[in-house]
Amino acid sequence: MGRGPAFWSAFVVVLAFALAYPLFADGYDVGNNIYFLNWTFMALGLSLIWGYGGSLSFGQTAFFGVAGYSYGILTINFGTAYGFGLLSVLIAIAIAALFAAVLGYFLFFGRISGIFLGIVTLSVTLALERFMAQTAGPQWTIGSARLNGFNGMSGMPPLTLPWFGGEISLYPDIGLYYLVLCLLVVVYLGLRILVNSKFGNILVALRENPQRAEMLGYDIRKYQLGGFVIGAALAGLSGVLYTSWGQYITPSNMSITAAALPIIWVAVGGRSDITATLIGTLVVLSAFQALTIYGSQYALVVMGLLLVFTVLLAPKGLIANAGILLGSLLDRKNGGK
Amino acid sequence: MALLQTHNLNKHFGGLHVTADVSFSLEPGKIHCLIGPNGAGKSTFFRLLLGEHQPSSGTIVFDGQDITRLKSFQRINRGMSVKFQVPGIFGALSAQQNLQIALQHRLDSLDLNAEVERLLDFLQLREVADQQAGNLSHGLKQWLEIGMAISLKPKLLLLDEPTAGMSPEETFMTGEIVKQLNAQGMTVLAVEHDMAFVRQVADRVSVLHFGRIFAEGTIDEIVADERVAAIYLGQSHD
Amino acid sequence: MEFVTAIVSSAYQFGDAFAFLVLSACGLAVIFGMMGVINLAHGEFIMCGAYMTVFAVNWGLPLPLAILCGSLFAGLVGMIIERVVVRRLYARPLDSILATWGVSLIASQGTLILFGPTMRGVGTPLGSFMVGALSFSYYRLVLIATALAVLLLLYLVFNKTRFGVLARATIQAPHMANALGVDTNRVYAFTFGIGAALAGLTGGIYAPTMTMIPTMGTTFIMEAFVTVVVGGADVFLGTAPAAALLAVVKASLTSWQGQLAGQIGLLLAVILVIRLLPKGITGFILKDRA
Repeated sequence: MGRGPAFWSAFVVVLAFALAYPLFADGYDVGNNIYFLNWTFMALGLSLIWGYGGSLSFGQTAFFGVAGYSYGILTINFGTAYGFGLLSVLIAIAIAALFAAVLGYFLFFGRISGIFLGIVTLSVTLALERFMAQTAGPQWTIGSARLNGFNGMSGMPPLTLPWFGGEISLYPDIGLYYLVLCLLVVVYLGLRILVNSKFGNILVALRENPQRAEMLGYDIRKYQLGGFVIGAALAGLSGVLYTSWGQYITPSNMSITAAALPIIWVAVGGRSDITATLIGTLVVLSAFQALTIYGSQYALVVMGLLLVFTVLLAPKGLIANAGILLGSLLDRKNGGK
Repeated sequence: MALLQTHNLNKHFGGLHVTADVSFSLEPGKIHCLIGPNGAGKSTFFRLLLGEHQPSSGTIVFDGQDITRLKSFQRINRGMSVKFQVPGIFGALSAQQNLQIALQHRLDSLDLNAEVERLLDFLQLREVADQQAGNLSHGLKQWLEIGMAISLKPKLLLLDEPTAGMSPEETFMTGEIVKQLNAQGMTVLAVEHDMAFVRQVADRVSVLHFGRIFAEGTIDEIVADERVAAIYLGQSHD
Repeated sequence: MEFVTAIVSSAYQFGDAFAFLVLSACGLAVIFGMMGVINLAHGEFIMCGAYMTVFAVNWGLPLPLAILCGSLFAGLVGMIIERVVVRRLYARPLDSILATWGVSLIASQGTLILFGPTMRGVGTPLGSFMVGALSFSYYRLVLIATALAVLLLLYLVFNKTRFGVLARATIQAPHMANALGVDTNRVYAFTFGIGAALAGLTGGIYAPTMTMIPTMGTTFIMEAFVTVVVGGADVFLGTAPAAALLAVVKASLTSWQGQLAGQIGLLLAVILVIRLLPKGITGFILKDRA
């Protein structure tokens, strides 16, 4: 989905709306709505790993958590002066990516795929949750950062950019909104380039037929690992953005329920297309937030139903199916001319 | 010097010897066909050559180098290529994209596009270039996969029953394609059941039976060999 | 005497870990081994069995009957889920993981809505005994015995009964079984039901030792995954030896460094095992027969 002038005009219109939105809204609301954008990176990463590469990874929230906690520990200990805030973001993402690289090495070079890949990554996520949940005691302190067990870690500074003669702290407000929006546009366009590159071609090829891909001379393990690490780094970016936005992260961000959510966004949107994934994530997240007014347990039941129905009725994803439908309608119209 | 040689290649699963002491030699520039009754060990032998199975003992030498312990993709990168029996294609991608992925390993964009065009014409896939490969007819899938296999410009092309499921016309066409490739200098090793195809293309034929090389020679010698006839007849009795 | 105490204590810890792993995994392993489906609602079937057991005890049933009740109820729910959701996805095993994950969310949140965040459980029966200075619970011995009994029972069901033979035939050659007049749909439904009932049994039997919360299933699920991954596709050749191996890892690390170390050790063991034996212990044992 998403080629040609019609797509790019729509893209410009949507972007213009997104850019203009803070002009018409209260700074507080804008700050709250950054919440939605924060998650999209993790979803896009999952789309790359799962939708394009065909590797079922349930571990995105683990990398999210690792990066979030890393950011907290780094900034609580060393502060954000002299550009260290920005550096912490990069280090935190790098730690998540490194973790993914080590885990992925064992998985992909052990030729684990399919269902087993899913349950091993999920097991790792659950183990991390359990680990963090039992760090309530005072002995679980790294420098001056208390991990604080089940209640989660808080008090880390917001995202801080170095600037001439000081630094800017980006609390949830219009400035942060523009920064995250800008990141999203960069990541989205970057991923588009990536999936249309030689690397992206091979990723799709090994989803379609790994044996054939290998017998064309590609070391498929490296490509699987590459996709997995990029996807994990994007989950890490989400983790850092989320943690610095709310100045808070808890082990329940890595629970089995939390791990299900990115799967739902991406499956419902349409995993094998980053545009469908992006739209799906934003739509499902907004619906989820709207439903939590009636209680988050009801919203989760609806999410579960949504997943079951998507798998049964529209396995390619609702947004992707709608896109295919729209595409064929347009084709018919053009053909009729 | 032989392009491919196996020395005493053995593979057993438990007590079952699937290939037994296969010593086989393939001359460069030839089309060599491997025939034999079902269960003779042909596909296992192919898998050993490709590195999908590890031999229990014995060595494989390709182009002067021992490749016995190399991984599949490393063997491919030394100049082997394979077309599987069941067409191995990327179903969700277009025929053209399939060829691009096969070629991008070797070529950059400009040469790549020219080569894709050339292959589409050579394999008569021009009209279906933009169709999803998974939706092509069986014969076209087979040709597409041959196209992907030869994209690598291999020294040795391995064909596993390239004409399985094809009509006689398609089989003949495939034979002509293989002969053209061979004329351009590609060595071919094919496992094949279809004797018309074997007669059309083969310079040399080996018969595999119970995991051993049972007979070897030109197609006429093989056909005249009564022992070979006996094993095929024996097969039809069970 | 101290030596004896140490031996008894180690054996007890190993047995406890072994029982937990076997009971956590057996339901998941039956469904995976027979049908190739990983049931992510496994934890919720365990929870379902536990809740039903507690209800039954509150209605006045004796605990063993109550556990049976919980197990049967979970089995019944399992057969309904198989009918409504899983049956449509046999051709797409990866999608069945997702669908059962959806079911899991619905079940745990639904339980939360219906019965609240916690429920009063039942106490652990049978008391304890002393060896040297250490006290051991009799109920844990019951758990160990149950784990062994479950393995034996499964062996008998799948190897000695008509259903078991049909089930294995269906698994190995579904079309052939179908052609021979086996109602393969019914076989799948029963197999899924047995898996769910085993999960329910696990929930019921552990109910007296746990806090009753809607997410109690997640306590078991990691151990269940790990055991099935290490074991591979066969309950007897895989799950049982995998549970034994992992129980050694878990029990020794737990007694050395605490429960968390035990769990992390499990995970590391798994990652190592899959690097060395990609098809699990089943694959390792069956290697020569492939």
